[in-house]
Amino acid sequence: MPLRAVGPSRTSLGAVAAALAAALLVACSPVQSTAPNAGAPSTDSFGTPVDTAKAKPGGTLTIALSAEPDQLDPSLSRSLYTRYVMHTMCEKLYDVDQDTKIVPQLATALPQVSADGLTVTIPVRENVRFADGTPFDAAAVKTTFDRNLTTATSPRRSELGPITKVEATNPTTVVVTLSKPFAPLTAALADRAGMIMSPTALQALGEKFGTAPVCVGPFKFAKRVPANSIEVVKDPNYYAADKVLLDSITYRIITDAGIRAANLRSGDAQVADTLSTQDAPALRGEQGIQVLESNSLGYQALTINIGNVAGLGQPLGDKGTPIAKDPRVRKAFELALDREGLVRTVFGGIHSPACSPISPDSEFTSPAAQACTPHDPAAAKALLAEAGAPVPYPLTVTVTNAPDALRLMQALQATVAEGGFQLTLQPVEYSSLLDQQDRGEFEMLQLGWSGRIDPDANITNFVGTGGGQNVAGFSDPALDALLTSARTSTDQAERVRLYGEAVTKLQEADPIVYLYRQRNLTGVAASVSGVQVFPDGVIRVAFAGRTS
Amino acid sequence: MRTYLLNRLWQSALTLLLASIVVFLGVRALPGDPALAFAGEERDPESLAAIRARFGFDQPLLVQFWKFLTAALSGDLGDSTRTGIPVTSMIGSALPVTIQLSVFALLVAVLVGGATGVLAAVRRGRPAEWFANAVALIGLSVPNFWLGLIAIIYLAVGFGWFPASGFVPFTVDPVANLHHLVLPALVLGSGLAAVVMRQTRSAMLESLGADYIRTARAKGLSPRAVVGSHALRNSLVVVVTIVGLQLGALISGAVVTERIFALPGFGKMTVDAVFQRDYPVIQGVVLVTASAYVLINFLVDLAYSLIDPRIRVTGAAS
Repeated sequence: MPLRAVGPSRTSLGAVAAALAAALLVACSPVQSTAPNAGAPSTDSFGTPVDTAKAKPGGTLTIALSAEPDQLDPSLSRSLYTRYVMHTMCEKLYDVDQDTKIVPQLATALPQVSADGLTVTIPVRENVRFADGTPFDAAAVKTTFDRNLTTATSPRRSELGPITKVEATNPTTVVVTLSKPFAPLTAALADRAGMIMSPTALQALGEKFGTAPVCVGPFKFAKRVPANSIEVVKDPNYYAADKVLLDSITYRIITDAGIRAANLRSGDAQVADTLSTQDAPALRGEQGIQVLESNSLGYQALTINIGNVAGLGQPLGDKGTPIAKDPRVRKAFELALDREGLVRTVFGGIHSPACSPISPDSEFTSPAAQACTPHDPAAAKALLAEAGAPVPYPLTVTVTNAPDALRLMQALQATVAEGGFQLTLQPVEYSSLLDQQDRGEFEMLQLGWSGRIDPDANITNFVGTGGGQNVAGFSDPALDALLTSARTSTDQAERVRLYGEAVTKLQEADPIVYLYRQRNLTGVAASVSGVQVFPDGVIRVAFAGRTS
Repeated sequence: MRTYLLNRLWQSALTLLLASIVVFLGVRALPGDPALAFAGEERDPESLAAIRARFGFDQPLLVQFWKFLTAALSGDLGDSTRTGIPVTSMIGSALPVTIQLSVFALLVAVLVGGATGVLAAVRRGRPAEWFANAVALIGLSVPNFWLGLIAIIYLAVGFGWFPASGFVPFTVDPVANLHHLVLPALVLGSGLAAVVMRQTRSAMLESLGADYIRTARAKGLSPRAVVGSHALRNSLVVVVTIVGLQLGALISGAVVTERIFALPGFGKMTVDAVFQRDYPVIQGVVLVTASAYVLINFLVDLAYSLIDPRIRVTGAAS
């Protein structure tokens, strides 16, 4: 689900004005994660591997989750939170480390890609069993690939790219054939598309696999209470079962951030995901609680409707408004925007300003990818006048009716007024917002994206011509060419350069105005050792242990 | 009698049919596309079409309704679109939690509200009454969600007396079950306790001024017997009526309480389903609730007709 703005904080006009004044003094190119005087500094803390001297075997762990996962089915899952739960049950062919570098998990090495980029060879582990005892081998991997590629409702199909054939040439080798080179494949295999399901369970349960999932993992599915909790227990069949300390893990769904924090403090939960930016500073200083922090790979942004007149997937048209027609008006809006001030006043400086879809923590970052339009309200007004647009320029923003999203937009309303934009907020309920977005019934709209490891998944779908989520109705053949080259190139340095150029191109046209990047804020009790959260946001608890 | 029964059965069936039509159309009248709500982040037009086909959202309304109705008649309310879990098993696991919570909250309301109400009436004009009135005023004015948060902060986090969230089924561990329900029941029961207190107090005052109380006192009955056996018993009629009327409010209050304390109840499930446009779950929940109402009404009518033969005659004549 697209992320909503998170992290409430009180905003007042005075504070915004002060922030604006401060921000005028701060050039923001490239982006810095926090400005001076923003309260406690936000330093990255990913957690450490388990301390085997302190952690004892046994015990249970309760994790307070902020939203309910959807189907526990790697082929069908569409919720970010499902990844948190599946991570303990379903190992993937690949995983990421804390530098978001891809590392083998059920595979034994990174894939070998042929010179033409069309054949990808993946070596997989041997002597591994699924939780139900079924042997894990290349044929099982093929079964999972085939299911992901042939199930009509599987979101994995588009993630896996132009695959034409998957073969198990021997029990430890999988060969994937592509019709076009597709660099994001490895990153996809480090997410749900790479979770290998037990062929026996797939045969028995079919499309109901998600009601009792069976994979290779440190833990196996025990039970699910709808809308309330999911429990997993230690799997004795796991190939490294001796490294697993906990007996079971319960994921309890607690949607209110304040109550998640209270459960962490009371000891009812030992881990709490997505702390609010209001609770985090207090929790940082509390004894017995540690706050893990990292930049996410996603972003929050404003999408401007440029050509989405008849709905997503329909031919593009002319929206007719100056902001849709003239990139100068959109650039003026970006100039009027004070990202630093917004992040500081609304989120206490915890989240980071974002000017592009590429996270500074991504392997694909570069100075070009982090370049930013400075805040300059005078230049914004001048540019509006140059474009012949009315000043103040009236603009309606559709936003979810969540209190924190509204607070952010109210602060935004105040900051861009100085740059000559008169914002009207139109709050709607979340499902209706998605509906209006896809039908093109908006002028500007605030939503976010949770982020993926490969930049292709964070850019192409949203701004590439005909992209599945190009709700802006944006089309630029030059950008398309760059994105296609980046997606088909297998040379990392070349890809980094191409994505940098793509960001420069994007910032010239501004179909999406990136606002800020959320930080993953996870609270962990001191009675647990070995909980880690990397920029992909997944709470890694499989090898954690209780210290008391 | 048989004609009467048949008539009532027929009417009940018709009511249920109408209810199912209303529910079916009602969920579809909600703004927002269920396929979009289902699709989450991965929502390109191609997957949306596949989702609509998978759940039959692309079929004509009549076809969808017919499928829903025939399946419901055979006891199949479909699977949750979001989690793939059968709706009947979801309701089966959630309903007992809400019933237990509501019964406990009702107990809290009647015991606390009744006792303070009697106290306030008997000690009229003294500090005990002012105190009871103040407590009732707070109980009426403070919203559930705020009281819940305060209870968690002080009683769960501060003193650590009660768990802040979660639920243990009674069959697994009765003590833990009760321990987990204390705070939610207190929070949910607080509003109703205030209402009960106000009603008990005024009914008691009225009773205490009545002639038969003077008679009872004149007979030399102890004050305890006068208040307990005479005044309170007569006042209870009013209180019981009010409690009955407030039960609906109790169930809707359970929605908030269940969310705060992460209880796997009916209310939380329903609200989540509405937000996620999980049609089968919303339909199932409303249909089951409607059926419960129809069944209860039917049983009540049946009881009436057994008690009062005139109702039976009217029923047969109509």
